[in-house]
Amino acid sequence: MTTVAEPTTNEKQASRIRQSARLGEWLVLYAVSILGAILISALLVTATGGEWQSVVTALLDGSMRNPGRWGETLGAAAPLLLVALGTVISSRAGLVNIGQEGQLAVGAAFATYFGFLIGGPGPLNLLVLLTFGAIGGALWAGIAALLRFWRGVPEVLSTLLLVAVAGQAVAYGLRWQWLLLAPSASRGNRNQVSEQLSPDRRLPNQVIFGNSFPISVYLAVIIALVVAFLLARSIWGFRLKMLGRNPRAAQHAGVSQNRYGSTALMIGGAFAGLAGAAMLAGGGFAFGNFQLVPGFSANIGWTGLLVALVARERALVCIPVALVFASLRTGSGFVASTGVEGRITDVIQGLLVLALLVPPAVMFIRDRRRARAATTART
Amino acid sequence: MTDNEQWLSGAGEWSFSPAPIVELRGITKRFGAVVACDDVDLSLFPGQIHGILGENGAGKSTLMKILIGLVLPDSGSITIEGTSCTIHDPRDAADHGIGMVHQHFSLVEPLTVWENVALGDGGKLNPDEIRNRIGELGEEYGLIIDPDARVEDLTAGLRQRVEIIKCLRRDPTVLIFDEPTSVLTPDESQQLFKSLRTMVASEGKSVVLVSHKLDEVLTTTDDVTIMRQGRVVDQMDTSETNAPALARSMVGREVSLRAGRAALGHIELDIKAETASETETVTEPVLTITNAKASGSSGQRLLDDLTLEVRAGEIVGVAGVEGNGQRPLADLLSSLLPLDSGTVAVNGEPVSSSSPGAMSRAGIGVIPEDRHDSGVVLEMTVAENLVLVDPQRVAQHGIIDHKALTRFAEEMIRDFGIQCSGPNAPLWSLSGGNQQRVVLARELADHPKVLVAAQPTRGLDVGAIEYMTDRIREAAAAGVAVLLISSELEEILDVADRIVVMSGHRIVGETPRLGVDLEYLGLLMGGAAV
Repeated sequence: MTTVAEPTTNEKQASRIRQSARLGEWLVLYAVSILGAILISALLVTATGGEWQSVVTALLDGSMRNPGRWGETLGAAAPLLLVALGTVISSRAGLVNIGQEGQLAVGAAFATYFGFLIGGPGPLNLLVLLTFGAIGGALWAGIAALLRFWRGVPEVLSTLLLVAVAGQAVAYGLRWQWLLLAPSASRGNRNQVSEQLSPDRRLPNQVIFGNSFPISVYLAVIIALVVAFLLARSIWGFRLKMLGRNPRAAQHAGVSQNRYGSTALMIGGAFAGLAGAAMLAGGGFAFGNFQLVPGFSANIGWTGLLVALVARERALVCIPVALVFASLRTGSGFVASTGVEGRITDVIQGLLVLALLVPPAVMFIRDRRRARAATTART
Repeated sequence: MTDNEQWLSGAGEWSFSPAPIVELRGITKRFGAVVACDDVDLSLFPGQIHGILGENGAGKSTLMKILIGLVLPDSGSITIEGTSCTIHDPRDAADHGIGMVHQHFSLVEPLTVWENVALGDGGKLNPDEIRNRIGELGEEYGLIIDPDARVEDLTAGLRQRVEIIKCLRRDPTVLIFDEPTSVLTPDESQQLFKSLRTMVASEGKSVVLVSHKLDEVLTTTDDVTIMRQGRVVDQMDTSETNAPALARSMVGREVSLRAGRAALGHIELDIKAETASETETVTEPVLTITNAKASGSSGQRLLDDLTLEVRAGEIVGVAGVEGNGQRPLADLLSSLLPLDSGTVAVNGEPVSSSSPGAMSRAGIGVIPEDRHDSGVVLEMTVAENLVLVDPQRVAQHGIIDHKALTRFAEEMIRDFGIQCSGPNAPLWSLSGGNQQRVVLARELADHPKVLVAAQPTRGLDVGAIEYMTDRIREAAAAGVAVLLISSELEEILDVADRIVVMSGHRIVGETPRLGVDLEYLGLLMGGAAV
């Protein structure tokens, strides 16, 4: 039996060729599916009496070309990125958290409640607000973690169902002044909203070329870099991956499923909660008026989950993907103004999301089939 | 293949029944780049037991899967009783009179024997008729079984009877047995072979015995086909061959029967005194398991008051029929099974059975029975798998140093002769033998006090088996306490210094290797009170 310890140059070359072939496959898949989505969208728009060119123009205008629009897009991308990073961490540990929408809402509610309860000078209060946002999200995800590791309730179900509970709980809080509701003097009649954050307690805005966005954008990017580094290089990230891919091997190697699993799930929740707090303190186009309102989470949790799905567990890839989804969000607002029916714009947005999700799914199936063929051939 | 064709045409003349029931011609099947079956010819004659011999990966299983329709061949023809046909699925095969008893049973455990036998029948059930038929078949072939027993209460040997009866009820003309003795005690194996002989002698059925054990093939079959790397390398009359010749043509080179005999299932009892280690001066045990009791999630007993000691430098073989608690025992020592009561201690220090990784930290290295279950992470790289248990060795302040990781991995790859494209190759890209070496390298790198090897050579080819066995011996020579859990008695007889027998989820007896009484061992394995 001969031993090959060093890969030969031939093999290195072959693996490089394999890698570029893979990259090519990816690009082709994305191109084909996005073109397909655009084609179907165009057909739909034309069939319902609209002009498809104007839809494309509106999407681009709304997300980038018009004055101030890319700032809005960046602002919308920040919470999406935060939610996606949290999802990447919990799915690295093999846990399927799909309750970000609720964790985000609870985070925002915690931020509102404790922000006003603790008070203090502006910047310090901002810190309190963000911290309690993260704590709120973590606790909400912690319920699912507790059920999962204490009683074996699948986290897919518990996190999802907790979204509905979170929505109701926040709405309930907004009915009582001792919880979240603003004093009647500072709100319109019967409006169930929280008190507005005073200007010194909001996230500072950065303005570049007339585009303004909250600094949570920087925060999110820095966190993305840190998460990417920790997942790739730290023992903690190594153990999470082990746990996610083979929990029994992990247990043999001393990785406690309870400890690492619940930590990962709660960090996922914390990121969603932080996103909620940042939306509250960041305000702006997408996220209202620096106050908590019913339905505050505005699908950012769901969309962030999609970002993580498309980026497939890779923290850095989440950054561009979050930007794409944010563009869809800011752009589709403009599509409505082209006279194309609102439902059709929803369908178009859905088609584009699907187009982004198809290539990872296809590659996943192909990789698995290849791996299986390799193992079958060996046995 | 001209030799084979000559042999085949010759066979037609001397065989007492000239027409083969089944004839395979030029069967080829590829999986990706690997050719599992390469232009294989095979003829099955009535009234004969055909042996198919070959190492793991030689293509035996694929060939049989083609015959019963689980795998479609890329090319080649199948002729059954003179008519050419294609077999699309096992139902097709059954219609053509071909049945197979698989290595892993497909029985529904909570159902009774007759219910399992009736499974898959269409139309109206007639329980009494089925019960009677089970009785008749049992009488006829010496496969007596209670039709109303629940399958979950049966031993592996009896479950196999159910599988066989399921097949026989369809009155097949060709019956395939895939490694049937791996779940049987030596006694049960003898009984099975007697039944096989009845089938071919009285009814002219054709039986195919797929095996990698020389002794089995030599004593049971009428002719033997030897496969190597997907090809038929030899076909001969069993009476005209012997163990060394079969071994040579199976492996493709001379095999020192000393090292290879366990791998080939060949027992030599007259072991020389110097090969067995001298009775050691009695030292304190390194590994002590005392009154271990554990149960599964649905309350079934996994370990029943198990007590076991292993001393430094000693290889203790755990013999027994599969499913008698061997797996839970390995799980316990891998921190995968918490005990209900009882203790595990290493060098007298108790080790928690419920804390993840505690066994490994206490110095117990484990080569698990199913490495994909708890031994490796297939999607991670070779290097990562080598530091699964102890990433600290290549890390500083909790951050992994990739250069150190690569260095360490390259060293291990060299030392253990792991064949791969490099430290960053994904583990799934390695062959089974090399995956096993990764596990071995990792578990030995930590200088364990105890090494648990559970079915360490299963699924490996002869070269890999020799290597694994040598490494286990070396570890013991270096003072490691070795626990070898194996359902292959030959392997245990070959390697162990002391043999304990597991039955009913506990240790039922022990004997030194020197002067072992096979009959006594067989009785213990069968669960007889001795």
